[in-house]
Amino acid sequence: MPKRTDIHSVLIIGAGPIIIGQACEFDYSGTQACKALREEGYRVVLVNSNPATIMTDPEFADRTYIEPITPECVEKIIVRELAELQRLGATGKLVLLPTLGGQTALNTAMSLHRSGVLEKHGVEMIGANARAIERGEDRQIFKDLMIEIGLDVPISGTAHNLAEARQVAEQIGRLPLIIRPAYTLGGTGGGIAYNREEFEEIAKRGIELSPVSEILVEESLLGWKEYEMEVMRDRADNCVIICSIENFDPMGVHTGDSITVAPIQTLTDKEYQIMRDASFAVIREIGVETGGSNIQFGVNPDNGRMVIIEMNPRVSRSSALASKATGFPIAKIAAKLAVGYLLDEIRNDITRETPASFEPTIDYVVTKIPRFAFEKFPQADPTLNTQMKSVGEAMAIGRTFKESLQKCLRSLEIGRSGLGGDGKPWRIGNEVYGDRDILPRDVITRKLSIPNAERIFFIRHALRAGFSLEEIFQLTKIDRWFLTQLKEIVDFEEELAASVK
Amino acid sequence: MNLDLLAKAKSLGFSDRQIAHLTGQTEDAVRAERKAVGIIPSYRLVDTCAAEFEAYTPYYYSTYDRGDDEVRASDTRKVMILGGGPNRIGQGIEFDYCCVHAAFALKEDGFETLMVNSNPETVSTDYDTSDKLFFEPLTLEDVLHIYEREKCWGAIAQFGGQTPLNLALGLQRNGVNIIGTSPQSIEVAEDRKLFAAMLRKLDIPQPPNGLATNEIEALAAARQLGYPVLVRPSFVLGGRAMQIVYSDAELTHYMRFAVEASPERPVLVDKFLEDATEVDVDCIADVGQFADPQGGTSVIGGILEHIEYAGVHSGDAAMVLPPHTLSQSVIETIRTYTHAMARELKVIGLMNVQYAVKGDTVYVLEVNPRASRTVPFVSKAIGVPLAKLAAKVMAGKTLVELGFTAEVWPKYWAVKESVFPFNRFHGQDILLSPEMRSTGEVMGLDADLGIAYAKSQMAANAPLPLSGRIFISVSDAHKGEVAEVARAFADLGFELISTSGTAAVLEKAGLKVRRILKLTEGRPNALDLLKNREIQLVINTPAGQTPRTDEVRIRTTAVYTGTPIMTTLSGARAAALGIAALKKSGYGVRTVQEFH
Repeated sequence: MPKRTDIHSVLIIGAGPIIIGQACEFDYSGTQACKALREEGYRVVLVNSNPATIMTDPEFADRTYIEPITPECVEKIIVRELAELQRLGATGKLVLLPTLGGQTALNTAMSLHRSGVLEKHGVEMIGANARAIERGEDRQIFKDLMIEIGLDVPISGTAHNLAEARQVAEQIGRLPLIIRPAYTLGGTGGGIAYNREEFEEIAKRGIELSPVSEILVEESLLGWKEYEMEVMRDRADNCVIICSIENFDPMGVHTGDSITVAPIQTLTDKEYQIMRDASFAVIREIGVETGGSNIQFGVNPDNGRMVIIEMNPRVSRSSALASKATGFPIAKIAAKLAVGYLLDEIRNDITRETPASFEPTIDYVVTKIPRFAFEKFPQADPTLNTQMKSVGEAMAIGRTFKESLQKCLRSLEIGRSGLGGDGKPWRIGNEVYGDRDILPRDVITRKLSIPNAERIFFIRHALRAGFSLEEIFQLTKIDRWFLTQLKEIVDFEEELAASVK
Repeated sequence: MNLDLLAKAKSLGFSDRQIAHLTGQTEDAVRAERKAVGIIPSYRLVDTCAAEFEAYTPYYYSTYDRGDDEVRASDTRKVMILGGGPNRIGQGIEFDYCCVHAAFALKEDGFETLMVNSNPETVSTDYDTSDKLFFEPLTLEDVLHIYEREKCWGAIAQFGGQTPLNLALGLQRNGVNIIGTSPQSIEVAEDRKLFAAMLRKLDIPQPPNGLATNEIEALAAARQLGYPVLVRPSFVLGGRAMQIVYSDAELTHYMRFAVEASPERPVLVDKFLEDATEVDVDCIADVGQFADPQGGTSVIGGILEHIEYAGVHSGDAAMVLPPHTLSQSVIETIRTYTHAMARELKVIGLMNVQYAVKGDTVYVLEVNPRASRTVPFVSKAIGVPLAKLAAKVMAGKTLVELGFTAEVWPKYWAVKESVFPFNRFHGQDILLSPEMRSTGEVMGLDADLGIAYAKSQMAANAPLPLSGRIFISVSDAHKGEVAEVARAFADLGFELISTSGTAAVLEKAGLKVRRILKLTEGRPNALDLLKNREIQLVINTPAGQTPRTDEVRIRTTAVYTGTPIMTTLSGARAAALGIAALKKSGYGVRTVQEFH
C-alpha cells in the first residue's frame, strides 16, 4: 500500500515540559516523526510548550506552535490551521498524530475526541484510533479483553470511590494490594498497600489524581519477574517484535526505576516464543492498527505463570530505549506506518537492504540504569515502588551482561566507577565505611529487602559479607542468574585485590 | 601486573580506576600499561542484524571481547562532541539541545562529527544526528580511547553541562585539543580567587564574599559579612547543597551535615542580597580567536529578568525576556559588564552571566563561559540559533562571517516557567530555594506580557483561575506589600480569604476579607477549603528559614489538590497581571515562524 495522498498536513502534539516519567525521549521520538513526515512531503504542524526541545526548532516543522498543550489551545490551533489550509487552497486533509508525545499528547487528543472537537472540525486521528486507545488505556476494558483472548491477568477490579475499592479488596482477599489510577503518567498516585490503613490512603489519593476518578485494585505480584516487549504492527496486520526487555528488579518497582536488560536473559526460547505470540495477540485485540506499542508481562518465578500487566498503545519511554538498544528507529517507522506504508515497504536505514519487517537481532547485551535525585528531596521517602521517581537514565552496551553493567554503572556519574573496588567510601546514615569494608549484616539486609536506588551495590556488599546467593534471592527476589553474574564480578574483584598481596 | 588478569578485568567491564584502586596503582599507570601491551577496546556496530548484513549507519560501542574493530576510517577533520550523560535535576534536555546543534553546525561546515553520550533518551544519540555515534560512558578513560582511536582534531566540552567540563582539564593533559574558550579561562570563572581578581581589574562589583574549608572558617566568614549569607560547594551545577543561612546555628548544621568541605573543595560564602532582582544573560563571542582582545566581537543573545527575587535558583525561577522592570541605565550597565568579561575571559563560544540588581547597583554573581540552561529558551525567543553559531565560532568562524553582530530585542514577550516533581515526593516542602529542583520548563509567548505569563502557567499545568477565592497568608517581612497585591485580586473580582495576621493588614488597607482559622486554631481551616476545592489560588510566602509546619502543610496540600500556588509576592503580581489580561481579551495562538 502506498502512502496516503488525501493528507496535506499532520498535526503532531509534543509532550510538553520534562517531568518524571516523561523526559526528553519524546523530543527524540517527535523529532524523528517530524523528519520522517516532511521527508514524505507532508506539511508538519507542531505544538509543544517546551522550548528546550530540538523538535521546536523552527526548521523541524512547517508551523511550530510553542503554546500550552491543553485541549482548548489545540482546538485554537486546529481552527487556525484549517483556515490556513483553505487560504493555501490545499486539497488534502489536516490529521492529528497523537502517539508520539507521551501520555500528555494522548490525553489531550482523547479529550478533543470525547468533547466532539475532532469530529466537529473533521480532523482524523492517525497512528492509533480512539477505540484502540480506550481499549489499551482503560484498565478494566483491557483486562476483560485479555481474558476473552485467553491470556492471564492479575486478579483485580476497578473502583470509583472508597466503598467500591474496599469491595474489590475484599474480593481479592489478601494484602499487599497494588493500586493503579487510570490515565495517569508513570504511576502518579499509585502505590503498594501492605495494610488496610495504607490501602485507604493510597486508594483515596489515586481516585483524586486520576482524571477519570478511577483506580484499579490488583492482586500483588511482588517478587515476580517483569518483562517488556516492544511491538509494531501495520495495517496489513504484519507484526514484529523490535526488542525484548527484562527487568533486573522484580515486580513492585516501576519499570522506569528498574535496572533493565535487553535482550531478555533468563527465559527459555519456548517461554520467549509464548510471550512473543501473546504480544501479537494483544496488539491485534486492542486494535492498534499502525505503530508501536509496549506490553508488560509478569512471570511467577515459582511456577512460570505468565500474566499481562499493561500496554501502552503509543511510543513510550521504553521505545526510546528499544530504539537505542537495537538501532531500529521506532518513532520514525511509526510515523511512516501512520501515513499508510507497510512494514515491508520501509527500508531499514542501517542495512539499506532489509525492510523494516525484519525483526532486529542483537549480538550484545544492553543495560539501562535509572538515575535518582533523592538528595534534592530529603524529606521524601526514597523507597522505590510503583510510582516512578527517577529523573534520568544511562545505558551501556557490552558483549556480556557483566561488561555492560559495569560500563553502565560508571556512566551514571554518581561517583562510582563500577560495581565496587573504586575506593569511594559509603555513607550510610551517619556512618562512613570504606569501599572494601565489610558492612554490618543488618544494614545489608535492610538495603536488600527494601527496594532503593543503591540496592545493586548492596548485593556486592552482601556477597562480600558472606551472604549466600539463596539468602540474597530470598531478600530481593532478583533472578538467581543475575545474582550469579554479580558474584562473578565480585569474585574477580577479590582475585585482583589478592594478586598484589 | 599480571596481563591475563588485566585482560580479564577489562572483559568483565572493570574501569581503570577500579583496577588502580584494587592493585594500588594510579589510573594513569594502569592505562599506560594497558596501552603498552595493546589491551585496548575494539569498537563494534549496533546494526539491527547481528552483522548479517552490511551496516551503513555508524553507531558504535566499545568492548574488550577482543576481535574485529568495525570502525571505518576517514580522512575528514574530526570534532568530538561530549554529551551530558544521564539527565538529572540541573542538567537535562537543554544540554542535549546544545550538543545536537553543535553536531548539525559542524557537519554544515564540513567537519566529521563524533557524538559521545550515554543517555538513551536523547536526540544526540540518534544515529543520524552526528556522523558517528559512540554510545559510551563519559569518563576520561572511555573518551580518551575514542579520541585517540579516531585521531580527532578537537573536542567540544562546553555544550554538555558540567559532565564534560569536569573532564576537560584531564583530557587536555592527555593531549586532547579542547576547542572554544580555553579550560584556563573556565578555571578563572570557577576559581573564586582568580574570579575576584578579574572583577577587581574590570571594576565590576560582586557581593562581599569569603571562602571556608571548615566550620570555623565558615563561621568567621559569615560573621564578617553579616547574615544572611549564601553558602554552596564549589564546582557543582544545579545548586546542589546551596542554601541561604540566617544564623550561626544554621551555618554549623550546614557545614556538618550538608557539605563535605576540604582545602581542595572549599565552601563559598557570599553575602546574600535580600530582595534583589536577578538577571541571567547569555552571550556569544569570538574574542579568543584574535590576538588583540579588542579585535573580536561579543554579542548579547538575551537578557532574562527573574520574576522571583534573588535566592531562587536560576533553573527554578520564572523569567521574562526582555526585562520588564529594569531601567535603561541598569540594562546598559549589564551590557557593559557582560562585554568586558567576555573580552577579559577571551571567550570563544557561549558565556552565561548571573547578575543581582539592587537599586542602581549591578552585582555579578557568577560567570560560566559555556552553554547554559537558558540557551535554547533564548534562541527561540530571539529567533537565532545561538548554540549552532557558537559551535561554528569554536571551530574557527568569526561572528562577522556568520552575520551575527547585533543584539536582538524582541517586540514580544517570552516567559519561562519551571515545572517541579513535587507530586512525586509526598511530604516534601515546595518552597523555591537556591537548590534547583525543577525537572523541566515551558515557554509562554505573546505580544502582551500578562498573556505570555498566563500561557506559561497554562503550559506548566497550573492554569490561572479567572474567578473564585484566593487564600493569602504572608510572612511578617511581606506584610508591607501584601495589601497592594491583594487589592489587584479584589479588583479582579476575587474573594480574599486570610488568617488573623494577614487579614488584619488587609482590613486596615480597606479590603474585605473572609477570616478563617489557622491550622492550630481549629476547623474549618485552609486545608479543608483546599481539599473541598473552595480555594482557587494560594499566595503563601515563607516565614523564615525554618518553615512552620502548618505552612508546609498548606503548601503541600495545594500541590496535592492541584491548586495553583505562588510562594513569592512578585509571582503573585505576575499572576494578577495575567488574569487581568486573560479577562480582558482572552488569548490567541501564533507560530514561532510568524513571531520571528
